[in-house]
Amino acid sequence: MPTAAQIQSHSTSYAESTHLVFNNICKKFPDGASALEGVSATINKGEFCVILGQSGSGKSTLLRAINGLTVLSSGELILDSAPLTPSSLRGIRRRVAMVHQHFNLVERASVATNVLIGAVAEVSMWRAMLGWYPTHLRNRACQVIERVGLDESHLKRRASTLSGGQQQRVGIARALILSPEIILADEPVASLDPAISREILNLIRTAAREQNATVLCSLHQIDLAREYADRIIGLRKGRIIFDGPAANFDAKAEAALYGKNHIPTSTNETAKPEHV
Amino acid sequence: MFDNQPADNDRFSPRAQDWQLKAPYDWRTALAILVIAIVLAWSGERMEIPKMLGLSSEAILSTIGLEEESQVGKGLGRMLSELFPFVIESRQEISRLSDFDRNSLPLFTRIETAEVTTFRINSDTLKAEPQIETVEYLVHPFGYLLNVLGKMVETFEIAIWATIIAVIVSIPLAILGARNYTPNSLTYTASRGIVSFLRSMPELIVAMFLVLGFGFGAIAGYLALSLHGMGFLGKFYAEDIEASDTKPQEALRALGASKLRVLRAGVLPQVAPSYVAYTLYVLDRNVRMAAVIGLVGAGGIGQELKGRYDTFEYGHVGTILLAIFLTVLALDQISARLRARLIG
Repeated sequence: MPTAAQIQSHSTSYAESTHLVFNNICKKFPDGASALEGVSATINKGEFCVILGQSGSGKSTLLRAINGLTVLSSGELILDSAPLTPSSLRGIRRRVAMVHQHFNLVERASVATNVLIGAVAEVSMWRAMLGWYPTHLRNRACQVIERVGLDESHLKRRASTLSGGQQQRVGIARALILSPEIILADEPVASLDPAISREILNLIRTAAREQNATVLCSLHQIDLAREYADRIIGLRKGRIIFDGPAANFDAKAEAALYGKNHIPTSTNETAKPEHV
Repeated sequence: MFDNQPADNDRFSPRAQDWQLKAPYDWRTALAILVIAIVLAWSGERMEIPKMLGLSSEAILSTIGLEEESQVGKGLGRMLSELFPFVIESRQEISRLSDFDRNSLPLFTRIETAEVTTFRINSDTLKAEPQIETVEYLVHPFGYLLNVLGKMVETFEIAIWATIIAVIVSIPLAILGARNYTPNSLTYTASRGIVSFLRSMPELIVAMFLVLGFGFGAIAGYLALSLHGMGFLGKFYAEDIEASDTKPQEALRALGASKLRVLRAGVLPQVAPSYVAYTLYVLDRNVRMAAVIGLVGAGGIGQELKGRYDTFEYGHVGTILLAIFLTVLALDQISARLRARLIG
């Protein structure tokens, strides 16, 4: 695995080409709640973009708009200069993979099966029904399982027998199997401990770099965002209030993003909460 | 978010000595018990519970010799005593056998002779006179047992096919009857309605109707059982689909998988253990019910049972009942193992 320094120097060499454009997108839920209120941004190819914000700020909705899990109320999403519409969604989903907060694995199925079903929409119907994936996909599954740091002995194990960190590795392998252009990670480390969280984020970042994939990752740990992001987008109540390189995300930006009750990250370990 | 909350929570929450933790029973419990007792007393009178208890205790007492005779004992006694010994041999009158060769008997068989007294009307005296005839029988020592085993195999085949047909039809019914996968509310209602209807129809009655249509034999039997099986499996399969964990399903939808693919890859692995359990239960039930629906002529061992019962051949009935019991017992063991293997 490359060291952090290598990645840092490597990242600057990427061509700055536009990959994904949010054009004034809005999402209103049927109950009237508004999740996104005019979000515009341009994401470059190969960028590791972290989305920060409080719970309910619209982070998940933004990610889920990209693979069509959320249907936008208005605005436009453009992927590689082609607008995303319900009819183009089918083709787009193949190029977009998602890593979930709760891993979303089929717990009773084996690791290999969980990774292979990442391609379930790509094989013919009879193969999908029999669970009989072609040789090239089975080989690819082995490759990605090795890539995420698991080995042959894990192939047959049930997902439910793995630790949380290992389960998320399987989730990442499932996302990688079709070599996606975009990886959406919806709070991928929210249910993992800090050490494992770093391993997982490191894995997502290096694996994405290897195939020049763009990553949009929502997080709620600011220190992790600063550590791993090329770019940070801060959402508050459905609007972007910070957008820039991770280095520019300073204490002031943090306070603006989280409001006055926020506990600064620098004193996170020792600070006593003011109100309980 | 926290701005308006008081810093000092104690101001508003009472001390522990003022808390309330109610007892699990109160006057409502007593009232409920009273109502249930009154209803049961009323119904018990209608169902002749005192008479049942009286007759049963009488029968038990007479069995252990404390009382002379009992009504139940008289009724059941004759039949129960004639169940034993079980009949396992078969005998055929040799005079009725065509191309019988006395010099080369079939394997394991022997010839027995018996004297049979018949009364014939003497045409001269117009009186019935006893005549003694010697009848020869070809006796096969395990003949009837083999016959029953053959019928039992047929019964098992009926149960298997009933289960296969029920499973095949139940799967689409369950998908249409699962709220989260049905295309629209019409298909949902239709599927649930069909399933409820099928479950509410008693197999015996359905088998009687089907015998009218398909004639005596196995077809009416397995169709009747499979219709009821669909009513059971369609309901339980659908409810498991509705209750299965949605997280993997969401992951698959995010990949653009169609409903059918999500069901196969994201739902089936989750519901498989309970599906196996339900299906094995239906198979077990079908074996038992296949023995019953034979009574109306729908094939299998029940048809044989009904014939022997009606001709008072209780020794044969005993053999049949034993065969059914042993089959159900064996199936129990097999399905327990199968379940452990598939679910474990």
